[in-house]
Amino acid sequence: MSELLRLWRLFRPYRGWMLAGYAIALVTVLANVTLMAISGWFITAMAVAGAAGVAMNYFTPAAIIRGSAIARTAGRYFERLVSHEATLRQLAGLRVWFYRHLEPLAPARLQQYHSADLLSRIRTDVDALDNFYTRVLVPVLVAVTAGVGFVLFTALFDLRIAALLLALLVLAGGLMPWLTRRLGAAAGRRLVERQATLRRLAVDGTQGLSELLVYGAADAHAARLDALTRELIADQARMSRIEGLFQAAVGLCANLALFGVLWLGVPLVADAGLPPPQLAMLALLALAAFEAVAPLPLAFQHLESTLTAARRLFAVVDTAPAVQDPPTPSPRPAGHDLRVRGLCFGYPGAARPALDGVDFDVPEGQRVAIVGATGSGKTTLFNLLLRFWPPDAGEISLGGAALADFHGEDLRERIALVSQQTHLFDTSIRENLLLAAPDASQTTLEAACRAAQIHDFIAGLPQGYDTWAGETGVRLSGGQARRIAIARALLRDAPILLLDEPTEGLDAATERALMEALQVLMAGRTVLMITHRAAALADMDRILVLDAGRIVEQGTHRELLDAACYPRLLGLDVTALTAAAG
Amino acid sequence: MPARDLLKEQMPRATRWLRLTVALGLAGGVLVILQAWLLAHIIDAVAFQQARLADVQAWLWPLLVIFLLRAAAAWGSEQTAFRAAGTVQRALRDRVFRHIQQLGPAWLAGQRSGALAEDLTRGIEGLHDYYARYLPAMTLTVLIPVAILLVVLPVDWLSGLVMLFTAPLIPLFMILIGQGVAAVNQRQWKQLARMGAHFLDVIQGITTLKLFNASRREAAVIARISEDYRHSTMQVLRLAFLSSAVLEFFATLGIAIVAVFIGFRLYQLDLPIPDLLAPPEVSFFAGFFVLLLAPEFYLPLRSLGTHYHGRMEAIAAAERLAAILDTAPPAPPAAPATLAAKPRLTVCFEDVHFAYETGREALAGVSLSIEPGARVALVGPSGAGKTTVASLLLGFIRPTQGRVTVDGVSLADLDLDAWRRHLAWVPQNPRLFTGTIADNIRLGYPQADLAAVQAAAERAFAAEFITRLPAGYDTQVGERGAGLSGGQIQRIALARAFLRDARLVVLDEATASLDPASEAAVQRAVDALALGRSMLVIAHRLATVRDADRILVLDGGRIVEQGKHTALITRDGPYRRMVSLLEPAA
Repeated sequence: MSELLRLWRLFRPYRGWMLAGYAIALVTVLANVTLMAISGWFITAMAVAGAAGVAMNYFTPAAIIRGSAIARTAGRYFERLVSHEATLRQLAGLRVWFYRHLEPLAPARLQQYHSADLLSRIRTDVDALDNFYTRVLVPVLVAVTAGVGFVLFTALFDLRIAALLLALLVLAGGLMPWLTRRLGAAAGRRLVERQATLRRLAVDGTQGLSELLVYGAADAHAARLDALTRELIADQARMSRIEGLFQAAVGLCANLALFGVLWLGVPLVADAGLPPPQLAMLALLALAAFEAVAPLPLAFQHLESTLTAARRLFAVVDTAPAVQDPPTPSPRPAGHDLRVRGLCFGYPGAARPALDGVDFDVPEGQRVAIVGATGSGKTTLFNLLLRFWPPDAGEISLGGAALADFHGEDLRERIALVSQQTHLFDTSIRENLLLAAPDASQTTLEAACRAAQIHDFIAGLPQGYDTWAGETGVRLSGGQARRIAIARALLRDAPILLLDEPTEGLDAATERALMEALQVLMAGRTVLMITHRAAALADMDRILVLDAGRIVEQGTHRELLDAACYPRLLGLDVTALTAAAG
Repeated sequence: MPARDLLKEQMPRATRWLRLTVALGLAGGVLVILQAWLLAHIIDAVAFQQARLADVQAWLWPLLVIFLLRAAAAWGSEQTAFRAAGTVQRALRDRVFRHIQQLGPAWLAGQRSGALAEDLTRGIEGLHDYYARYLPAMTLTVLIPVAILLVVLPVDWLSGLVMLFTAPLIPLFMILIGQGVAAVNQRQWKQLARMGAHFLDVIQGITTLKLFNASRREAAVIARISEDYRHSTMQVLRLAFLSSAVLEFFATLGIAIVAVFIGFRLYQLDLPIPDLLAPPEVSFFAGFFVLLLAPEFYLPLRSLGTHYHGRMEAIAAAERLAAILDTAPPAPPAAPATLAAKPRLTVCFEDVHFAYETGREALAGVSLSIEPGARVALVGPSGAGKTTVASLLLGFIRPTQGRVTVDGVSLADLDLDAWRRHLAWVPQNPRLFTGTIADNIRLGYPQADLAAVQAAAERAFAAEFITRLPAGYDTQVGERGAGLSGGQIQRIALARAFLRDARLVVLDEATASLDPASEAAVQRAVDALALGRSMLVIAHRLATVRDADRILVLDGGRIVEQGKHTALITRDGPYRRMVSLLEPAA
């Protein structure tokens, strides 16, 4: 139930809207019941008066009928309008709320989530929360107020009829929702999970189609999707059975109320304790009163889905970011030298630490390379430098100030990264570049792209810088994407540069060209580069050799050529080496 | 195919269940008439014939039976309606997904996968109300009012006339307003799909956003998109609700007119009108009976108005689905040629041209051949067309000119699945699928046992790191391998290729992002894989190409040089220039 309370708090900013929605919904229900009850009374009273030949005031009831007919029509319209407006406002707010909590978790805490699963959360799960407001909160309030009103009104005529109405209303609006919630809980929870899985399979099946096709697994994947649809429909069918059952049951309750009113009322009329028009009125009121409770069983049946969606959102929102920003403002570093001391780090659940006591210094403006086998801890080191993860032990300092004292954003303002994976967003090339410097002019963009040797390519495209990049955009080769990343880093103009295998996977000519672009980028900056390319390594001021989380060798390229690990890591066998040196 | 036709085309699947839904709905309607008849009798007897409880029991008990029957009919129609929709949804999802598979990677490259995921999940779900609610409501809107009219006309023709004349106004106004809504609704659905695609893009690129301190700016973008969405949704809804309101208004007006006409006739008010035009007399029983039926007469029309929204949603969704289904996949050969039981697998490119966009040829006349057991390396600058060659070979795209043949049979005439059974492929960025590592290695050979999986991992030099993981081969992995490094994912992909035991292996920059030590290990693995198989390698490393039987140097979509390393290196051509760049020390 604590989720309900948290949801309630989340919706608090929209209390005004909720109140308005509630008021209009209440008026609508009252108008509708009044219309039915008064019409029944009116006709009977007119007939009785007509038969007896006495005069009666038919203007007032006729006016009430007109008034409630108009109130009902207008009420329905505005109720829908207000509730949808309120819902959409809430959903917009909730999406931003969720994203704001999601963002600090990237990338360390989001590793465990499939992107499609997160997509399900920000789309479907946030949408599901609106159930809480439109289908639970407002209808419950309306049902309680209107229900009490109907029972009190009936009590003016006969207490036993009122008691019967109360009992049946409580049955349909209290007991039945309680039952549907219990019956629908398991299927409701599964539905949310299965819908998320379905989306994951859909994303896997489209983004990974090439591999599925070549490995003949496309058919199996389609079968998997179909099987999941079957399971999903089975759960929905279960929900539908419950829904149908209780819809019928509420209808039955309404009819039983009608039946009960007649059963109790007919003797009253016969004994002249109740005028006939009043019986007609109470009978129709009893029938119509159930309109107020009718939506409740369904709402509570799906409450578990809503709560599951809420739990899925809270699970992300409640995750503590891997790194907390300090409460104090970021220090002003004196210079941009990096100092790493006794750095230790292990990923959660990993058998051995990724970094196991690393010490090194990068003086301002120097270029240091890191080499090491896969899994030796190079990328981890970058993740710690960017403060995506906090170290388990040891310290990194930047310009004499501890990294832990920096706010993430202030720190990353000073760092630019070029990695192997460049995410190009589904927007224009210009927008993708502007990401690094939102206020940059076209001239600045072009200058950066010239330096990254990608300007000619972009300018040659029919739409130039407005060409769409990203998933649906122009096909960019690995080298072209990498050069856009370099242009971004240039635009970023940060004093510290982290390069994660910037030329990997590129052909020789591209690599050579890229290295020239990188030289421009590296000029005057503190540089840490992960690479295995001898060409790049020869130019570095110092090289650190990482193995199993420790620095095992360090020195310049020449010094290290005789070391134990270094030449092997570079794939240089000794004979080739001596030949080259000679 | 227009969206409506797609929806209609699915009808046969639903018809059987929908007929039941309508039958049960009609039964419910008839029961309502009976109920009103009994109720009117009871009130009439009590009010005007001083009947006591015992006198009306003959009507009260049947009433109870009717209540139970109505409940049963309501439950039954709900169930059958669900079945109708469920059957269609399941069939259509399967069909659309398989169609996407047929359209293949070439088509997918131009699509937003977030939007496609939206179509496959929510789009299909959006069809539910059309089949389960709108279609049965459509038929019942005709049947139930007609049934009620048939009963009312003989009892009180005046009320019957009122109903008869007000009823057609409702659909008329609905259609008038509905047309405006449909157009806005289309736009709305597209915006919804865009929103889904945008969110997926943001989530997949969130680390990049963070690196540039742009992730907070993105919060403002999300707020703006959600706001835009609210605006446009409300635009649709305001119209949609207006049509409902008009409908409500006419229904209420109809009921009110019926009630007033009955009331005044019962009151026997003397109206100053000639006898000829005098309204028909009406008894209280008849009047009350008709009054009870009046709301039921308009109810189907009202619920049609409510479910009309379901129709619009379905049409908008169907529009997107139809757009997918209308895209014709490359036609499969009418009579697919078959490869020999033990094909030699000689692959030839005969003057192959290919352009992704007209006017920009990625391949401009490439001829090459891969003999059985040969190891062919493709080298060249990025954008030279290497990946295009691989895509053609894998059957993702077809030459715009020229042909690709296997043992003399054009690839276009072959059953692609049969052809691909002989292939293994290690792409540049292999994708891991939701499931265990073992499942991922089994991708191309699902029935392989764990021992075979382990052997494959062993040969791909992946076994060592897999066994170090806490859950070993049962470790759950996600799309980007969650927690695995690029090199590790690559080796899992290699293990796939080993387990597949294919005759022709396509390696696309397979050794990229591996450090030289692992690369050397993988190289040994690849050498082992190459034994007795043909292999096409897209490579940049000297080590990878040195042992190739033939090196093809691609540039600008053409083969500019080919031969063995030893021969090419002696010539002053593009290859030697490339090698000198690769090995600056040499």
